[in-house]
Amino acid sequence: MASIFRTPAARMLAMAGPRSLMKQVATPVFRPAMIARMNVAPRVGVAAFHTTKKMLIFPAGPQVIEGDVNTPAPVPDANPVHGSYHWSFERIVSAALIPLTIAPFAAGTLHPITDAVLAATVVIHSHIGFQACIIDYFPKRTMAGLHRFMRWFLNGCTALVLLGLYEFETNDVGITEAIKRIWKA
Amino acid sequence: MLSSRSMQAAFKFAACQHSPFVTTVRTSALKASATYQIRSAATTSTTPVESIPAEQSEAILKEQRLRRPVAPHISIYQPQLTWYLSSLNRIAGVTLSGGTYLFALGYLASPYLGWHLESATLAAAFGALPLAAKLGIKTVVAAPFSFHYWNKIRHLVWDTGRFLDLKGVYATGYTVLGLTALTTVGLVLM
Amino acid sequence: MVLDALIRIKNEMDSTLTFRRSCREGICGSCAMNIDGINTLACLCRITDESRGATKIYPLPHTYVVKDLVPDLTQFYKQYRSIKPYLQRKDPPTGKEVPQSIADRKKLDGLYECILCACCSTSCPSYWWNSAEYLGPAVLMQSYRWLADSRDQFKEERKQQLENEMSLYRCHTIMNCARTCPKGLNPGLAIAQIKKEMAFNG
Repeated sequence: MASIFRTPAARMLAMAGPRSLMKQVATPVFRPAMIARMNVAPRVGVAAFHTTKKMLIFPAGPQVIEGDVNTPAPVPDANPVHGSYHWSFERIVSAALIPLTIAPFAAGTLHPITDAVLAATVVIHSHIGFQACIIDYFPKRTMAGLHRFMRWFLNGCTALVLLGLYEFETNDVGITEAIKRIWKA
Repeated sequence: MLSSRSMQAAFKFAACQHSPFVTTVRTSALKASATYQIRSAATTSTTPVESIPAEQSEAILKEQRLRRPVAPHISIYQPQLTWYLSSLNRIAGVTLSGGTYLFALGYLASPYLGWHLESATLAAAFGALPLAAKLGIKTVVAAPFSFHYWNKIRHLVWDTGRFLDLKGVYATGYTVLGLTALTTVGLVLM
Repeated sequence: MVLDALIRIKNEMDSTLTFRRSCREGICGSCAMNIDGINTLACLCRITDESRGATKIYPLPHTYVVKDLVPDLTQFYKQYRSIKPYLQRKDPPTGKEVPQSIADRKKLDGLYECILCACCSTSCPSYWWNSAEYLGPAVLMQSYRWLADSRDQFKEERKQQLENEMSLYRCHTIMNCARTCPKGLNPGLAIAQIKKEMAFNG
């Protein structure tokens, strides 16, 4: 079924051959793992061994915990605008885009208004999507300054994009027609 | 094998006898790997032990926490349809939106920068490209669009609560991949 | 099982190898670790055939490592405590049990069996990037376990607790959690139910 995604053997560094029945323990940074063979005395020193390089992808900051294990984690203030309303709005916009992206192309360019609505909805959808990426990858907690900068940068870009698409709609043929012409060129 | 095991047991037996307070008793040859240790009642440790107050131990823990390494994640986690399709969805969305944003910003800036991004110019430029380049660019645009489109529908179906068991996730996942392939081919050839 | 192999390594090869384990039967959740790329319980994970190559064992992904295979789960436990995982009632206690119909009890099946091993939460990429503020699938599923309990009368307060950007809504339905749960539970489905309840019932 999903076997193409599940091939642990292919992902392994083929370590020892069939002779040793080892399980190797890979530790993150500094502890060397001991590889002992069956017919050697227990007291064996082995070179430091890592199966993966220390890759700092989205590096996590040092661990800071407020309070001890017996105090509950802090609960943020309730704000449905950022909570369920945002989620519902996002789903409504996505659902609206499903027919909206297909209809103008299927039925020919109907109306500049439909085109404008499509453009605006696409921009709103993109804005929400980018916001989600910023919240995920530039967390406010650890990168407050960068987070705020990215948000304002996004707001600025979205405003300019809306302006740009408005210009495109008024001065040019509109995005559906433009895409059609370029596609068929 | 058997000889090495008894050799190993012999080494262990020899290595066990550090402390004068511990007597090691060797059992019979058949149970070669088991050694029992008898500790005398009054054993004292030779490691110095100091008591520290609770706040100091908290402070030590805080210090330790700052130095702890983070266990590896993306580099070691098994590739699975679940998170691979999800990351692909995000990449596709960011690519499409990023492209749209760049185009709109470029169009806004084009009079000041001397570029020509009107639809007529773009259509003419695109038409002048060789067929391979045209098909290539069309695929690069159509593929993320198709995938994101079908996967978004998959997400909206999930939000109603349907197909959210493991079977459903995999079935819908493969369906989306199939539909993406078909749609991309269709769009490119249009 | 892999746990037996680890214990053997500890006994015979390297006694400094450190890992948590207790029940050896898949019910305590101590031996959760990443084996061959999947988060699972070592005592329930079969040792693969030798010919497939070596097995790689890592601590739970993106956790702070105390030593070898031991992660620091303090944040996880604090988050669990924050959702108030106990029955809360507004009516004064009557001295008798709080009755619950069979149908209502059935709603808790698939939710109460969680052993809080943290396999799902540490398999979630959203939890990797935001473990301090996103609650993670395990804690959210337990939150739903109390939301869905007909005897609990603090439903609104529990929902209000999740009405913010980070606690619940960092979930993007990646579904790694359901894929990896060693007990066969489905946190992703529970989270989707929470989102539906929050959107449609206030």
